[in-house]
Amino acid sequence: MVKLLIDGRPVETLEGATILKAAQDAGIAIPHFCYHEAFPPEGSCRVCLVEIEGMPKLDLACSTVVREGQKIRTTGDRVLQARRAVLEFLLTEHPLDCPICDKAGECKLQDYCLDAGLTVNAFSEIREKREKKLVIADKLLLDRERCILCSRCVRFLRQVTGTRELGLFERGVGTQIDLYEGQPVANNYSGNLVDICPVGAITDTDFRFKTRPWFLEARPTICPLCSRGCSMWADYHPGFPRVAGSARIYRFRPRLNPEVNGHWICDVGRYGAMALETDRLSELRWVKGPSHAELSWDQTMDMLAAKLRGLKTGGAMDRAAIVLNSRLTSEELFLAKKIFHEDLGAGRIVFADPTDGAADDLLLRADRTPNRQAASRLGFSYQGDLAAALRGASFVWIFGANREALEPVRRLSAALQAVPTKVLSAPQSTGLEPFMDFVLPTASVFEKAGSFANGDGWDQEFLPVHPPCGNARAEEGLLIDLGRALGFDPEFYAALDGPRAVARALRSAHPQFGGGR
Amino acid sequence: MSRDTRLLPVDFETADLRRLAVYEARGGYSAARDALTGKSPAGIMDEVKAASLRGRGGAGFPAGLKWSFIPKGDEKPKYLCVNADEGEPGTFKDKYILGHNPHLLIEGIILACYAVGIHAAYIYIRGEYEMIARRLEEAIAEAAAAGCLGRQAFGTEFALDVFVHRGAGAYVCGEETALLESLEGKRGWPRLKPPFPAVVGLFQCPTVINNVETLANLPVIVRDGAAAFINRGKPKDGGARLFGVSGAVIRPGLYELPVGTKLREIIFSHAGGLRPGRSLQAVIPGGMSSPVLKADEIDVAMDFDSLAAAGSMLGSAGIIVIDDEASLIGVLEKIASFYARESCGQCTPCRLGTSWMAKTVERLAAGEGRPAELDGLARIASNIKGRTLCPLGDAAAMPIQALLSKFRPELEAEIGRAAKGRG
Repeated sequence: MVKLLIDGRPVETLEGATILKAAQDAGIAIPHFCYHEAFPPEGSCRVCLVEIEGMPKLDLACSTVVREGQKIRTTGDRVLQARRAVLEFLLTEHPLDCPICDKAGECKLQDYCLDAGLTVNAFSEIREKREKKLVIADKLLLDRERCILCSRCVRFLRQVTGTRELGLFERGVGTQIDLYEGQPVANNYSGNLVDICPVGAITDTDFRFKTRPWFLEARPTICPLCSRGCSMWADYHPGFPRVAGSARIYRFRPRLNPEVNGHWICDVGRYGAMALETDRLSELRWVKGPSHAELSWDQTMDMLAAKLRGLKTGGAMDRAAIVLNSRLTSEELFLAKKIFHEDLGAGRIVFADPTDGAADDLLLRADRTPNRQAASRLGFSYQGDLAAALRGASFVWIFGANREALEPVRRLSAALQAVPTKVLSAPQSTGLEPFMDFVLPTASVFEKAGSFANGDGWDQEFLPVHPPCGNARAEEGLLIDLGRALGFDPEFYAALDGPRAVARALRSAHPQFGGGR
Repeated sequence: MSRDTRLLPVDFETADLRRLAVYEARGGYSAARDALTGKSPAGIMDEVKAASLRGRGGAGFPAGLKWSFIPKGDEKPKYLCVNADEGEPGTFKDKYILGHNPHLLIEGIILACYAVGIHAAYIYIRGEYEMIARRLEEAIAEAAAAGCLGRQAFGTEFALDVFVHRGAGAYVCGEETALLESLEGKRGWPRLKPPFPAVVGLFQCPTVINNVETLANLPVIVRDGAAAFINRGKPKDGGARLFGVSGAVIRPGLYELPVGTKLREIIFSHAGGLRPGRSLQAVIPGGMSSPVLKADEIDVAMDFDSLAAAGSMLGSAGIIVIDDEASLIGVLEKIASFYARESCGQCTPCRLGTSWMAKTVERLAAGEGRPAELDGLARIASNIKGRTLCPLGDAAAMPIQALLSKFRPELEAEIGRAAKGRG
């Protein structure tokens, strides 16, 4: 350990740590643009200059390694003057179009200038004219006037993806970020460029001009689109009181998790997660019954419980087909197992999951479900024969993941239509609704609490980002109600009250759950 | 100047000195041959350290000390990079060595590599020196064919290959780490130090980077000894230098004179003084980035320490003489626009500060500004100085600061006249 003084405060840090890191760990923020924890120091923005007692010049906090007994000042006249000077230089060629810039509110240049009290621009020469909306990727635009040339984007594409689509061209004040031979950024991690850009130079066309960052609340969540289970922030707009539909998630960003995803998320997750919020089922429907508006969840669960009890009494449960999916939480899979396997003894429990895709060597895994690990821990065999399950079934309840996962079911529509009672519960439209007797809208992943066990066995808990849409509810609550209505093992269901009761029951029944973060 | 004070035998008078036979006939390669066949590498290094040979590229770092930073016992290969990217305005000394006496450089390279234990040297030559690069390659081929280079240099076990690499015209590539990047085939952007090139240099290996003229001094140090070398210069700054004199003198050119020769003597005796009727206004003593001297400051001795004491620097010893007819705002504009054009664009203060200065000076020179704006210019320069990633920022700020502080009334008067002229 190395002991030193930063701004008069004793700080202890690891040998080899930089001043910036040591200060950051001690809660002292030093401004920086080009430095990013994921990359080696670049030292080009010069805004992190600090004063080390006894040194003639100011030194870079991002690259200077701490020494025992050092006395460092991150504030004071010399440091603040140098910092203001760097910011003033950056503003000379910066358009200051903050009022129409998507980054305003979370822009580091804006924040640092505000902190430095830089309110007057001393630059009175003519600014360079530069491209303001250069298409650099399918969803990304580059504004070269806003760019401060921190080169984080270039280094990301060199050091993380290795795809090297962006480079630095020209020199001096004409230096600019550009594509090689006009070939756009085309890799599965392009969205990260927006996150690491400290200013509004790289913007996402999905987010551009849609809202302002200060309306958004960053809520932690887990990506459900592959078995990596990356930690993400869902930036949620709680909505304006009189604007319908204004409450929603506007974007997903990576949430640092060294064990799982590090600093990044992939585009499949980032943009795919947005798609989970669209095309939602929001109303309960009973095709043969009265208008759906009059059907309540209680009535529905009572009807379904009565139906299932009847089948069990009639000895027809061995022909009851339950189609699950690995996007259900561990708690939901646990309840499904309890109800359909243990309580009812359903004979045909199979899985219909999104199909595997191509893995990449960074984060994306071939297994495009978040929780297959939990299914196998619970003893489900998720590769059951769907056709065999539906053929001659007395009852079918399909827990739908998405349209694509249910494609094999749709191909068996003849067998499906022959089933006397057909229930679908799904968050999104699946294309199977017309065949169904009951359609139950369920919560999206971002509307429920629970946990996923990722491919490496980490159990990752998450909370709802926002309330369910319309009449949708999470499968967890729905299954508890069903279990209670069925009336088997009443003590078990009576104990399931309170937010974490199911998770506790899961862990006591299956101790292998609950390892992780 | 009598002949024996010539330390660096550039020998402008001898025709075809670039031919091996001519060079050898005048005693060439004897120092290298003697060293490789009879002296130890440590002995050579000690001799060079004792000779107080200071780097001729501009910074004046002691050459022997620089070599000693190469880590001992490292298993990686070591490299010598010869900085022949002579780009400092007012400097044209290496050009003559490279073009007129390339074997002197090659002999110096052999000695340096032998002393440090290097087996591959790269000469990074300024892109504009196209013909010179060809001559240099011819000379290397001739030296290799004669056995001075290659697997067994001078019949010894010492192997050395020398390669020529042409730059592409960026001033910043004369900065040693930008040179390494460029040599590796990358964009010529200076590296963040540490690590220093002596530890992590070319291809991530320990690397010595020396200027052409620095290496060209080695044969004479090895031949005559450190004491003789120091005797001809100064105790802490040995030998002679090639002073390039340009600007408003009668005989502009390259003058080989002992370190410590007075600036006045160089301008008025060697370079023939100013043209009739002109008077001296200012002198830039060591390449364009060195702070300007006023006419009454030229009794300074031309060595690193004396010029530093006088508030300037010897740099590359390129002397630019400015007479009373020259426009100082014009000088300012030349300086500001040069560094703005040559700033590599990597770090903020240099990229944006140099272009800001250039834009302001250009406007002032065009008569579209007020004399008081010189304060703003001084402020920009002081915000660049000491804050940049490589020395280019300082090189841009220092001459502007010096012109502003020493010639403020003259500059204000010129700006006033220019504004009136537009008027």
